[in-house]
Amino acid sequence: MKIKLTVNGKKYERNASETKNLLHFLREDIGLTGTKEGCGAGECGACTVVMNGKTVNSCLILAVETDGCEIQTIEGEAKDGKLSKLQQAFHKNHAVQCGFCTPGMIMSARALLQANAKPSVEQIKEAIEGNFCRCTGYQQIIEAVQDASGQLKKKEGLTRA
Amino acid sequence: MLQEFNYLAPKSKNELYTLLKKHAGKSRILAGGTDILVELHNHWIAPANLIDIKKIKELQGITFNDSEGLSIGATTVCIDLINDKNVKQYYPLLADAAGRIGSPQLRNRATIAGNLCTASPCADMGCSLLALGASVELGSADGVRVIPLKDFFTGPKKTQIKPHEVLQRIIVPAEMAGAKYGMRKLKRIKGHDIALVSVAIARTSKVMRAGIGSCAPTPVVTADLSPDAKVARVISAVEQVVSPIDDVRASRDYRLFMTRDFVEKIYPELF
Repeated sequence: MKIKLTVNGKKYERNASETKNLLHFLREDIGLTGTKEGCGAGECGACTVVMNGKTVNSCLILAVETDGCEIQTIEGEAKDGKLSKLQQAFHKNHAVQCGFCTPGMIMSARALLQANAKPSVEQIKEAIEGNFCRCTGYQQIIEAVQDASGQLKKKEGLTRA
Repeated sequence: MLQEFNYLAPKSKNELYTLLKKHAGKSRILAGGTDILVELHNHWIAPANLIDIKKIKELQGITFNDSEGLSIGATTVCIDLINDKNVKQYYPLLADAAGRIGSPQLRNRATIAGNLCTASPCADMGCSLLALGASVELGSADGVRVIPLKDFFTGPKKTQIKPHEVLQRIIVPAEMAGAKYGMRKLKRIKGHDIALVSVAIARTSKVMRAGIGSCAPTPVVTADLSPDAKVARVISAVEQVVSPIDDVRASRDYRLFMTRDFVEKIYPELF
């Protein structure tokens, strides 16, 4: 089925297989492999993208359902080879270890910041509750989102490199 | 790649009815997809046709009026219910319950009607809609029938819906508008998890009802109780309708204990 959609501001027109989900469509048909597949069943959030301003699990959507939609993926973050402020905050605050959850985690944080420029810690926790991270213990991720929204207070005691 | 199926996207209710009749038993309805894509992914189902109902305008939206009450269209997703001004004002229990479903990604996509049609014993919308005395409207080429939600569920993952029917809207009666309410959901973790026990109670000047999830083969509801019923009466009414089992997530005894505990905690919030 022929579909038209916008991904990271760029328009695409593709013949999408009816049985392909958005995740595989993005990776295989558009060539954007930043979005990862974890569980493939809407549990882990690794495949999170922003669709029409809202986070979704791209493994739970058929590509043909996205006709006319606007999608944001991790590839839309960096501009001209420069990481976005949010990506820089993840880097600086050690919110990335193995990195597999990071694209989805950043998209959840991105949708949160688009709706709420100064989220509270509780709001950050709620926004990432559908994104599993098995490395960091989440604290650094929460701090990264606070930092990206200009809310991270300097820490006393242990300093981070 | 998922197994082969035809993707159909009707634009009107009549077109949908025709497709459902033509492909009865060989099709599944696709709305939010948060359950059905998991079932397809795991090869639990193999429908020949997937009928996407999101393009049908007649199945969209939430409306409220004083005579009928609240009408929740089949394609309404959790986040729409949470943000709806009539829901916030007249049926805040529903916004509370929808906010407890899954994760933000799922709430942005999962439909309220789909949560009922999946008919999991732990359906988060089940206990709240039961407490509010909701009904469901089933449509097909043969006509429309409205049945109380308490009769809709017939077993785990089983409902009264026939292969050629669609749950086209959920109706919450006007007399429950402004009901006082309380809800609790017990989970293993604070984030995205399904209920071990959930209890929702709604109370107006005329009636009090408790809906319970994860404690029987389907979400269940108590008989209509007097709005002045004492907490012990509510607990005994709840105990009459629940029949929890031991499973990997919790024991029967723990579920019974938490059900009683939740009723006791919610009760003061109803006055």
